[in-house]
Amino acid sequence: MSSTNNGATLRHVLPNGMVALIRRNPGAPTVSVRGEIRVGAALESAEQSGLAVFTAATLTRGAGQRSFQQIVAETEGRGCSVSAGGGIQASGFAGKALAEDLPLILEVLADMLIQPTFPEVEVERLRSQFLSGLRESEQDTGYRASVAAQALLYPPSHPFSRPSSGTLDSVAAITRDDLVRFHQRYHPSLTNIAIVGEIDPPTVVAELERRFADWHVVSAPEAAYIPDAPPLVGIQRRDIAMPGKVQADVIWGVHGLRRAAPDYYGAMIANMILGQIGVGGRLGLQIREEEGLAYYCYSDIDADLGAGPWMAAAGVSPENVEPVIEAILTEIELFRQDGPTDEELDDARAYLTGSLVIGLETSDGIAGSLLGIERHGLGSDYIARYPAIIAAVNHEQVIAAAQKYLSTEAYILAVAGPV
Amino acid sequence: MTNPVIAHTLPNGMLVLLKEAHGAPVATSWIWYRVGSRNESPGCTGVSHWVEHMLFKGTPQIPVGQLDRLVSRNGGVSNGFTWIDYTAYYETLPADRIALGLQIESDRMVNALFEEDEIESERTVIISELEGYANEPETWLDEAVKDAAFTQHPYRHPVIGYRADLERMSRADLYAHYQTFYVPNNAVLVLVGDFDADTMLRQAEDSFAQLPVGPPLPPAPAAEPEPQAERRVTVRRPGAAAYVQIGYLAPDCRNPDFAALAILDSALSGAKSLTFMGGGTQTNRSARLYPALVERGLAASAWSSVTPSRDSYLFELGATASEGVDPATVEAALIAEVTKIQQDGIAESELARARKQMRAQVAYGGESVTNQAMQLGMWESLDTYRRVDTLLNELASVSADDVRRVAQAYLTERRRIVGHFVPSESA
Repeated sequence: MSSTNNGATLRHVLPNGMVALIRRNPGAPTVSVRGEIRVGAALESAEQSGLAVFTAATLTRGAGQRSFQQIVAETEGRGCSVSAGGGIQASGFAGKALAEDLPLILEVLADMLIQPTFPEVEVERLRSQFLSGLRESEQDTGYRASVAAQALLYPPSHPFSRPSSGTLDSVAAITRDDLVRFHQRYHPSLTNIAIVGEIDPPTVVAELERRFADWHVVSAPEAAYIPDAPPLVGIQRRDIAMPGKVQADVIWGVHGLRRAAPDYYGAMIANMILGQIGVGGRLGLQIREEEGLAYYCYSDIDADLGAGPWMAAAGVSPENVEPVIEAILTEIELFRQDGPTDEELDDARAYLTGSLVIGLETSDGIAGSLLGIERHGLGSDYIARYPAIIAAVNHEQVIAAAQKYLSTEAYILAVAGPV
Repeated sequence: MTNPVIAHTLPNGMLVLLKEAHGAPVATSWIWYRVGSRNESPGCTGVSHWVEHMLFKGTPQIPVGQLDRLVSRNGGVSNGFTWIDYTAYYETLPADRIALGLQIESDRMVNALFEEDEIESERTVIISELEGYANEPETWLDEAVKDAAFTQHPYRHPVIGYRADLERMSRADLYAHYQTFYVPNNAVLVLVGDFDADTMLRQAEDSFAQLPVGPPLPPAPAAEPEPQAERRVTVRRPGAAAYVQIGYLAPDCRNPDFAALAILDSALSGAKSLTFMGGGTQTNRSARLYPALVERGLAASAWSSVTPSRDSYLFELGATASEGVDPATVEAALIAEVTKIQQDGIAESELARARKQMRAQVAYGGESVTNQAMQLGMWESLDTYRRVDTLLNELASVSADDVRRVAQAYLTERRRIVGHFVPSESA
């Protein structure tokens, strides 16, 4: 067990390896808990797609001595919440409460992580809800375009090639035993928890020790690992016709990079200028503001433990699909050639450093930041160092990242919309 | 302890609300106009929302494209939205930059350009926004229910407007709407954050006090007549699931029964944050609809809602039917829960739970200055900002009998509109 208190954040490691980040944020009489276990859909086979998501969702359905009905009656009755959800690289959990109710949500969250009960009837109810949700998603243009884009970007063996929510077939086939076995991969040494709010940190440490110290797992921890994908070759496109729709979702995509990559900041700022800042960066400016072709057009880069996609997306009338694709490619090529203007780079840097205080305003925001810093090993002084990191990103780094990752010759296109 | 709200009316009639909040070095500036789809005439549906878009499209001082840039450069975020009763804009910034919010809002209250070419490019953007909504079966059903629920009142039409109106409207329509409603005497400025209220008030006076009083505002729309019979609509289009949506014509938020209706809603599906930004917690699974519909396998999800509004709007219930379950069965299950409350009322424990949940939702909302200002502005636009503080007391004074009484008075067959969405093959 060890504790370090850096500025306002107390970092405490439990004997079982679980890391707690605790910070007092006075102001509102509330507390936010956010946590993650670095176990996710990356560890499941394609046949069992949806298993990590299903497992995490089942945690609230019965844990320790409480049934699902007791968990929601006790927590919701006090206006608190506990939740859990699976992702590709990690499974998350969260709680929110009036500060007076923190002991209750820590007790329930500990039960959820350590001794979920997976009641048969609840597993079936949840399965039915998942299947309903998947059937609805099948009718959603954005979802269909995104699934098609993932399948084009990554080979079938890669965890990013399929949605973590699974398919109608795979979710139908998952058994209670599968869930129990997948839960055994949850490991305290792969778990981080952040607790922020109107709290007394030493009291919270004692409470965590009480609730989580007995969590031991015999098997060795195996964290989700995301392999690199083979490079894209040429242009691959998939069009999906959907009856009854009036608008198409268009996605352009390439491979991005890991958060740990040395050129991360250059790429992040390139993305911000290309498709984020203001109403969707240059893409939004050109396609929405100048040409009036779409209500939204933006780009997004998913740089986490694995190298996720770098995508541009737009929702457009069927007759504008080809003009919007042309416009996206034109903007990308321009950016690759010339990079940002000095003014754009200044604006992006000013935004990233200036908006730091807004991101850290609420307890939810602080807890999310602490969790990200821990996940990526950025160091307890990261927030203090951040403005200097951003100020040091120069034009060459941004254009180098754009040229390395963006392409108008090897990319994928997915379009889902009206017949 | 939170700081008090300071209210000050400028000579031109604009109300300024200020609240110091020193939890983080941030501040937010909101301006609210009492205009929304409620104030629109046939042929001009969607004009309020379009005007909102045009307020981002340039003034002589802040040309098109520069507003977002200015806010971003200063580390801030901004947006605007239009609803049935109000239109609001905000900038949340590091506290030492909050003057920018005042500068932007005072400028565009009077100086928005509404240039022809910008109007044309925004016309297609808004039609694209409409088409995005029109991809969703939930939108088709919701619009059909509202269309059936209101025969006279403009709440009948969607906030985004009808496509034909969006294709037809001209600069003259948009500009007239802007000049009519974007006046200090129809606006509320709300400032919350890490500032000194006296200094901030002087800055607000400098920015807004010189703006001229506008002409008298048009009269309020006619009230929706008392419904005389249940109305039913069925939408058949492609989709993955059947949906049921039921609306009951309900009183506006100033009616003394509003708090009892909010508790009724809590008993059915948990207490929610009454503003858009939420940030609250999920409270529906321990309430009545979830076990009765979802746990019994009839529905994948079930909900109810009460919307604070200027005029009579709807108390609503809805559900997504499970695979193979007939919408009529889902409808019957929803109405059975209403009937139970009409007959037996609710338990004291449900009352206590609703109060505690609402107290928690208010506390979560108080974490962010943006959300605090939103609550103040929304309530002042609808009634008075004091409701932010008095609502918890109003809820505390509601009795179980009150809840049964309002369920009996308002959730009647005659006041009911029932909508079904039934998936069908043909588009």
